[in-house]
Amino acid sequence: MSTRRDFLSQPAPENYVAGLGRGATGFTTRSDLGPARDGPSEDQIKEAIAKRAAQLGLVPDGKKGKDKEEEEDDERFQDPDNEVGLFAGGVYDKDDEEADKIWEWVDERMDRRRRQREARENAERDEYERNNPKIQQQFSDLKRALASVSDDDWANLPEVGDLTGKNRRSKQALRQRFYAVPDSVLAAAGSSGEMGTTVMDDGAASSNSTDASDGTMTNFAKIGAARDRVLKSRLEQASQSAGGDSVVGTSSSIDAQGYITSLNKMQMNESQAQVGDINRVRELLQSVVKTNPNNALGWIAAARLEELAGKIVAARKTIDQGCTRCPKSEDAWLENIRLNHDSPNTKIIARRAIEANNRSVRLWVEAMRLETIPSNKKRVIRQALDHIPESEALWKEAVNLEDDPEDAKLMLAKATELIPLSVDLWLALARLETPENAQKVLNKARKAVPTSHEIWIAAARLQEQLGQGQKIPVLKRAVQVLAKESAMPKREEWIGEAEKCEEEGAIITCQNIIQETLGWGLDEDDDRKDTWAEDAKASINRGKYETARAIYAYALRVFVNSRTMWMAAADLERNHGTRESLWQVLEKAVEACPKSEDLWMMLAKEKWQSGDVDNARLVLKRAFNQNANNEDIWLAAVKLESENGNEDQARKLLAIAREQAPTDRVWMKSVVFERVLGNVETALDLVLQALQFFPTAAKLWMLKGQIYEDLGKTDQARETFATGVKAVPRSVPLWLLYSRLEEKAGLTVKARSVLDRARLAVPKNGELWCESVRLERRAGNLPQAKSLMAKALQEVPKCGILWVEQIWNLEPRTQRKPRSLEAIKKVDNDPILFVAVARIFWGDRKLEKAQSWFEKALVLDADQGDSWAWYYRFLVQHGTEEKRADMVTKCVLNEPRHGEVWQAVAKDPKNAKKSVEEILKLVAAELEQ
Amino acid sequence: MGSVVLPHLNSGWHVDQAILSEEDRLVVIRFGRDHDRDCMLQDEVLYKIADRVKNFAVIYLCDIDEVPDFNAMYELYDPCSILFFFRNKHMMCDFGTGNNNKLNWVLEDKQELIDIIETIYRGAKKGRGLVVSPKDYSTRHRY
Repeated sequence: MSTRRDFLSQPAPENYVAGLGRGATGFTTRSDLGPARDGPSEDQIKEAIAKRAAQLGLVPDGKKGKDKEEEEDDERFQDPDNEVGLFAGGVYDKDDEEADKIWEWVDERMDRRRRQREARENAERDEYERNNPKIQQQFSDLKRALASVSDDDWANLPEVGDLTGKNRRSKQALRQRFYAVPDSVLAAAGSSGEMGTTVMDDGAASSNSTDASDGTMTNFAKIGAARDRVLKSRLEQASQSAGGDSVVGTSSSIDAQGYITSLNKMQMNESQAQVGDINRVRELLQSVVKTNPNNALGWIAAARLEELAGKIVAARKTIDQGCTRCPKSEDAWLENIRLNHDSPNTKIIARRAIEANNRSVRLWVEAMRLETIPSNKKRVIRQALDHIPESEALWKEAVNLEDDPEDAKLMLAKATELIPLSVDLWLALARLETPENAQKVLNKARKAVPTSHEIWIAAARLQEQLGQGQKIPVLKRAVQVLAKESAMPKREEWIGEAEKCEEEGAIITCQNIIQETLGWGLDEDDDRKDTWAEDAKASINRGKYETARAIYAYALRVFVNSRTMWMAAADLERNHGTRESLWQVLEKAVEACPKSEDLWMMLAKEKWQSGDVDNARLVLKRAFNQNANNEDIWLAAVKLESENGNEDQARKLLAIAREQAPTDRVWMKSVVFERVLGNVETALDLVLQALQFFPTAAKLWMLKGQIYEDLGKTDQARETFATGVKAVPRSVPLWLLYSRLEEKAGLTVKARSVLDRARLAVPKNGELWCESVRLERRAGNLPQAKSLMAKALQEVPKCGILWVEQIWNLEPRTQRKPRSLEAIKKVDNDPILFVAVARIFWGDRKLEKAQSWFEKALVLDADQGDSWAWYYRFLVQHGTEEKRADMVTKCVLNEPRHGEVWQAVAKDPKNAKKSVEEILKLVAAELEQ
Repeated sequence: MGSVVLPHLNSGWHVDQAILSEEDRLVVIRFGRDHDRDCMLQDEVLYKIADRVKNFAVIYLCDIDEVPDFNAMYELYDPCSILFFFRNKHMMCDFGTGNNNKLNWVLEDKQELIDIIETIYRGAKKGRGLVVSPKDYSTRHRY
């Protein structure tokens, strides 16, 4: 280190530039103090060099003889850190000068040679390029001409079409090409499927092979069949493996319950089990067992795993170990017995198990099951009872084992002594005893278990069996006692009990239960009505009609004047009871609510439908007495008479009705009545009179117009409609009739204007818009129709009928489906639209879907006659006989009244006396396709 | 006293040689004038610690009138400034004063000076160019 410090005593070299030797760089912290420079400045260095040269007496420009650029080159290669500094301290003397000169000479010589070489190479390259000109050069003159192209020319260059996208797509399409599977493969697959499974074969396989040997013909049907069989065998395999060995049933049905339980005790084939998984799980379980050997669950899991892996011996060993480690675990012993169930050791194991836990009911029962001979079983169970006399389950098993009722009785008597709180045992005993003794037993039971309602119910049923169900109010006492013991079950539970009694045939008990308990726990207010109605409905849904009947009976005793309750009760009787009981209920109902014309009409209708016209008349008469001048009853009477052919009588009735209950409806019915009978003149008279009283009744105006139309008096009809729409401008059907009249007369222009006025009077009405569109369409003016439709959909976007019109008549066939999808999104629930969708599917031969859509539409609105008609038409084409009959009866039950075509057909005087079924057929024929 | 005893660097060449000659130690050079009061105070402190830091640092003095070559390069305009070099690299130290390049006030606490020198040495050995001073001098001295 001290040697390093020698410099302190040395003199500094001449002309040394400070900092140059070590390449020092400065810094700038404060620009106000002046700029710092990087190391020694250029001037300083030059100055120093000049000084040194002068000192040596050399030419100052000694190095200037070289090229400027080479000087720069030299500097570029210099490393100022090292090279300058290395000899910077040294002295430049004569020897150095000479050495420099020699080096310069060498450099010069090398340069000369290089220049010669470069000149030669240039010449060669030029020669080569002349011989082999580049493409770029060939076109250089043309490229130069591009300079003269103006901006406009550039702008007007034609666009190159984008071919890349198309090309790509076409290439992809090429790649995605599908090839048919060779027939040989399919046939082979079919036959392989046959071998592996027990497929029912109709000899197709053998014929298949002969075909194959023939080789010239391909039987496509058989190939298809083979494919089906392969699929079927796969499915079968899947379902069998899922169902384990226990499921031997058919392939088509997989029992969900069985599937779950079979998962629990699944025994996989060795090939199916994943070996790696089993090994891993085995390690896991072994560590579980080692760390916690007193945990029975770990042992059981380990044994199950072995069983799953198919190693039944290992499983037995494992569980045996488990049993010795955890002798108090019932589960482990049960598992052990289960695993050994087919070996002779089972009984020994069971004995060991019971020795370890002699108070385990489950183990005793298991041990009992292992015995095959009844006497042995009895012995085991007696032993068990010695150990655990208070186990109900064991007593039950013991009683079940007894064949002789007397022995069973004895057993049960003993059992009830030991376990007096077991209701089941008491009930079993009572069932075995003679009726007299049973009563005693039940009394004892009641004392032992005062809180059990089952015993009370059993007592009540006993009374019923003895034929004294009505006399002794067992259940009344039951309710009192149970309430006192505060062990009263909830109302719903009582209803459940009642339903159970009904199921077992004890109808009187059922009724008694309802009677005593229905009001239990409910406040004395009107909520009860709703609650009971709901209870009854729930019972009906469960199919327990007696219970429901009892509920209604009780409810009606409380709410005598409730019309809705009576109706509900009548409904129940109509649907699930006899005609007599229905009459009874209705008679009671009209007595209770004489002011309710609905109930009266219902009664009259029922009587009439059963063919008892006189009685019906009588009923209506009574109804008149109670509700004088009620138009509904009048009209019902008229209907009754007219339908039974007593036209004069009906006419008289109508005349009286017009006087006594002069409503527009009565007048209208009168007019319709006359019109149907063909008395057009009378009808016209009536309608004129009626219009004087009720000028705002749109239906009367319509009738008048239609009568004129029928008579062929178009002018008068037009006049009628014109006045009608002035009187009742908001009636859409009137406007529609008016426009159709004009259209029928061939005056499309006028019809159009009528509809325009109608739309002004009744804005935002889908039917009017639809009629306008149809008018244009019928006139053959399709573009106009389309533009109108666009306007209409803007104004009334949620109108099904408009959408249907568009979908069926204004769209090309391919657009129908997307359009209907859009319509369904816009209008969620419209039966007309649903029917249209169904028809689209029908057209596409998707019959299942079509049917489901038809049914949806009918569920949505069963009153829509058109839906029924379409459905009928559909079923005529594709349905079975039963299906059609079923549908027709449903239709008749629902009595549809609405629908465009339906109304037109149903209201036609020609069809006035036809039944719903006939009308349905007529409408179906009428529908446009 | 310290001005007399500590080694002086008499020319730019000597300064450069001093910086280049040390391989393993920090080179601490005080630039200033020996007759200046601040310098005399600082030299006294440097002299006293010189022996205690000799294992990892060597201290030189340099008169900026005698050797003006570095005045512009290292901005030697203060009466007394101490610079640190390690293997021909100028070491910076963040004293919190805003000037990391040198210690340009009189630091009279010996232990603090030793700590600074040691910190710079340790940083230098790890290849750092800038270290943070163990103590913040931003409030102690203002210009």
